Amino acid sequence: MIKTVGLTKIYRTDEVETTALSGVNVDIKEGEFVSVMGPSGCGKSTLLNVLGMIDSPDGGDYFFNGEEVGRLPERKRADIRKRNLGFVFQSFNLIDELTVYENVALPMFYTGAPAAERKQRVEELLEGMHIMHRRNHYPQQLSGGQQQRVAVARAIVNRPKLILADEPTGNLDSSNGDEVMKILAELNAQGTTILMVTHSQYCAEFGNRIIRMLDGQVVTENVVKQYL
Amino acid sequence: MFQNYIKIAIRNLQKNKAYSFINIAGLAIGIACCLLILLFVAHELSYDRWNPQADRIVRTYADINFGGNHFQLAVTGVPIGPDVQREISDVQSYCRLRNYGSHLVRKEGEGTQNFREEEVLYADSTFFEIFPLAIASGEARTCLTKPNSVVLSRSRAEKYFGSAQAAMGQNLIVENESAWKVTGVFEDMPANSHFQAHLLMSLNGNREIMEATQMWAMSNNFQTYILLKEGTSFDTFSEKFNNLSRQKIGQTAAQMLGLSLEKLEATGQYARIGLQRLTDIHLHSDLDVELGPNGDIQYVWIFSAIALFVLFIACINFMNLATARSAHRAKEIGVRKVLGSTRGALIGQFMSETLFMAFLSLILALALASAVMPWFNELTGRAIQIPWASPMFWGLLACGVLITGFLAGSYPSFFLSGFETIKVLKGQLSRKAKHGGLRSALVVFQFATAIVLIICTTVVYNQLNYIQNKKLGFRKDQLIIIDDAYALGDGILAFKQEMLKHPGVESATISSFLPVPSNRNNTTFTKSREFRQDNSVNLDIWDVDHDYFKTLGLELIEGRLFDKNRPADSSAVILNETALKNFGFTDNPIGKKIYYLESEPKGDTKPSDFVEYTVIGVVKNFHFESLRTHISSLGLFLDDSRGLITLRYKAGESRSVIAALEKQWKAMAPTQPFSYRFLDEAFSRMYQTEQRLGQIALIFASLAIFVSCLGLFGLASFMAEQRTKEIGIRKVLGATTAGIVGLLSKDFLLLVGFALLLATPLAWWGMHKWLQDFVYRIDISAWVFVMAGLAAIAIAFITVSFQSIRAALANPVKSLRSE
Ligand SMILES: Nc1ncnc2c1ncn2[C@@H]1O[C@H](COP(=O)(O)OP(=O)(O)OP(=O)(O)O)[C@@H](O)[C@H]1O
Ligand SMILES: [Mg+2]
Repeated sequence: MIKTVGLTKIYRTDEVETTALSGVNVDIKEGEFVSVMGPSGCGKSTLLNVLGMIDSPDGGDYFFNGEEVGRLPERKRADIRKRNLGFVFQSFNLIDELTVYENVALPMFYTGAPAAERKQRVEELLEGMHIMHRRNHYPQQLSGGQQQRVAVARAIVNRPKLILADEPTGNLDSSNGDEVMKILAELNAQGTTILMVTHSQYCAEFGNRIIRMLDGQVVTENVVKQYL
Repeated sequence: MFQNYIKIAIRNLQKNKAYSFINIAGLAIGIACCLLILLFVAHELSYDRWNPQADRIVRTYADINFGGNHFQLAVTGVPIGPDVQREISDVQSYCRLRNYGSHLVRKEGEGTQNFREEEVLYADSTFFEIFPLAIASGEARTCLTKPNSVVLSRSRAEKYFGSAQAAMGQNLIVENESAWKVTGVFEDMPANSHFQAHLLMSLNGNREIMEATQMWAMSNNFQTYILLKEGTSFDTFSEKFNNLSRQKIGQTAAQMLGLSLEKLEATGQYARIGLQRLTDIHLHSDLDVELGPNGDIQYVWIFSAIALFVLFIACINFMNLATARSAHRAKEIGVRKVLGSTRGALIGQFMSETLFMAFLSLILALALASAVMPWFNELTGRAIQIPWASPMFWGLLACGVLITGFLAGSYPSFFLSGFETIKVLKGQLSRKAKHGGLRSALVVFQFATAIVLIICTTVVYNQLNYIQNKKLGFRKDQLIIIDDAYALGDGILAFKQEMLKHPGVESATISSFLPVPSNRNNTTFTKSREFRQDNSVNLDIWDVDHDYFKTLGLELIEGRLFDKNRPADSSAVILNETALKNFGFTDNPIGKKIYYLESEPKGDTKPSDFVEYTVIGVVKNFHFESLRTHISSLGLFLDDSRGLITLRYKAGESRSVIAALEKQWKAMAPTQPFSYRFLDEAFSRMYQTEQRLGQIALIFASLAIFVSCLGLFGLASFMAEQRTKEIGIRKVLGATTAGIVGLLSKDFLLLVGFALLLATPLAWWGMHKWLQDFVYRIDISAWVFVMAGLAAIAIAFITVSFQSIRAALANPVKSLRSE
């Protein structure tokens, strides 16, 4: 599904040049659940953003479903993004002006799904996440765990083939984090490919494979022993 | 999708109440100002357009520079209309109007009450051919043909006779002597006419016309309107007219002065009769002896500019605030983009938000405009109404709101939607968003406008103040003028004597001539018993009585006043300093003789046709016309002129004097209307246009400043919010409150400083030009600019520091924890 060859990303500011990614080769098959780990600043988020097509690489190739997308114009990438990808962020990134229900429904507006289908799908997800009773609340009125569940629901509402999650449990306590991980694992079991950045070995082991990074490069890839 | 946008828009409005208020109120004020002024401008431009032949009608004017005086008159002579019709085939018809001022009018019958009618015009029978007003009764073509016929407006017909039908065939008694028969009634003239008439009296049989000279440019008393045949171009007619006019005036010069027109013009003197279009009269004509006060195209421009400025300032606020708020909406934008929103969709969203707000502003603006309309009408002296029923009005409004919303929304929309997804999600805003070069430019523009308006207001008020306090050469306070004094008939002298007995009355004088708008009369005087262009001076002639100098407080600088014991004083004259200079009586003027031609000579002028006057005194120059003009030559003569009585009363006695006056009047002339005014008020009224301009500049300056401050307040609060973390850290590290207020205010004050630099030359130039209208004027002093600058800085500082102080006083721990 995803294949990169020598992917690089360099941040230039007035004074310094930071190589965030230098020659990254990853290969992710459909149905995998891959965790990315590494010390702070090694380029994990950058990699996720590039793979999620919200940032563009400075060099190397990025094939998504066999198609080179790294050099596509923003419009095209946005189009692929909204049909195929779902995002979960460490800081949730819900829109404060919209209710829980509206936040989850938002991606379906952009894909132009019919209203009835939208309603059914959103309600189904909210039920599944146990936040149906909070559907008319605003994000600020929810706990961190609830917010992240809303964010996850929003990420999957369009049934994306790939979910990109950047430290989804980073702002949560262990029980809330556990719950989110279980949801992700379940989605993976239903066939969704997942790429997740995490600092926690415990969380990482929910996946089938762990990519370890250091200074913008992939150092090891090891398969996780099958989780029970 | 659209619903979704509006939903977010409404929630955004509710969530940020202060922001919404500032934005909507600011824009509403802008729209309301603009609306009022555009209605005013539309009204001004509509003058005389109700006349379907407006484009074919011209009026003649006279421009005469002779004998040291320069006249530009809206009136010309009696022969011009008939001559033009005879000589130039393009003319379909002409109509002369003669304005003899107000008349006392009553219904025929015993003891009927007299009313003073102001809008009385004597007209040729062609009046309705040229001004096709709707006729309620009578026959438009013939109603003014017979002598002593009068045609009334519907409102006057109803006033005197109850209805248009009842008025027909009835008699009105004018000035208590002549009877005029009502032969027609017309619907009241539209308000947007350059003159108003309620009584039209037939010129047939008019003595002045019958006895008038056939020479052009000799005597100028009639408004003359010419209707051109269809298809005639103004330019070709104008050329033919000018040829005729030069030929005719050449004849006058030859007959009166024995000079050719070319020779006369070689001395720098000239006489011209020219043409102006009917549709140019209201806004472009500012001549003497107009039929009513005209507008001024200059003010139309000034008003339009101000309207656009205020609207623009309001739009700038809108843009500034929306852009500043981008910091708060960055996350929303980022998330929307990640989720698949295109840039176009985001622009659509922000546009619909601004349009929605503009729409709310429009509703508020309409409410505002209709609330202040009566007061606006008072200010402009017009009767403008909001055309609620006009589809065109609504269409234009809709367009206006779309354009305004679009203008105000465009920058923020493109700006916000252009954020790079990844950066906004990371909380990095582009440097532009933080510093905002464009935003600074907009603030500079706003304040420059405000400062220009402050300066203009100050200068206009300074000039008005100067006028009020200028030494005029007479004492304008404590004078009461009684109008229509001639209605007392021979009782006028007894009336004056009776009033002098009142302890509150110091002195009284009977004369129609006063140094405020009143009767005027002028003639050419010569230094010997012959007419040469180099020995003549055009002199204003004022007929006064013995008490005139004392009552008005005029100052005699040489010679003596008129003396009751010297009957020969009836052929004496007291000249002002200008007249002295123009006659060339430089030393020892007393005893010098001046002459004037009693009546038009039949054939050549003989020395015996001239009447002699002896100079007995010199009066110090006093401003008998407005301060816009130089003091021209004036001669005071001892003669009967019973139009007005002017009384000087003792301070604090005005009430008892007026009561006594009215009582005496009622006793002596019960059926005549009693009306009085104070001379100083009549004087102030001469500068009404300037006073209005001052008021308008003041109002719009205040509005511009208010709206600018709204914007600045909003900006400052967002800036303070954005820098909460910085402020917190600085405070933890030991910054003082004052230091932080200074830090936050510095940038804004710098901008206001820039605005001052920009505004100063602009305002100076504009006001310098405006002051050129006045011969007697103030100098614009530097302190006006200093003061305006200080005021703007103070206002800006107060506005900004309100926010800065709040931010500086906030508990730093709180702001830091929230990060
Ligand atoms: N916008 C940027 N401009 C300049 N440098 C950047 C920018 N974003 C990231 N970097 C640099 O790129 C490198 C990789 O950053 P990245 O955010 O990918 O790290 P990370 O592995 O996600 O770290 P963490 O675990 O702390 O989230 C870092 O050295 C960072 O300083
Ligand atoms: Mg990271």
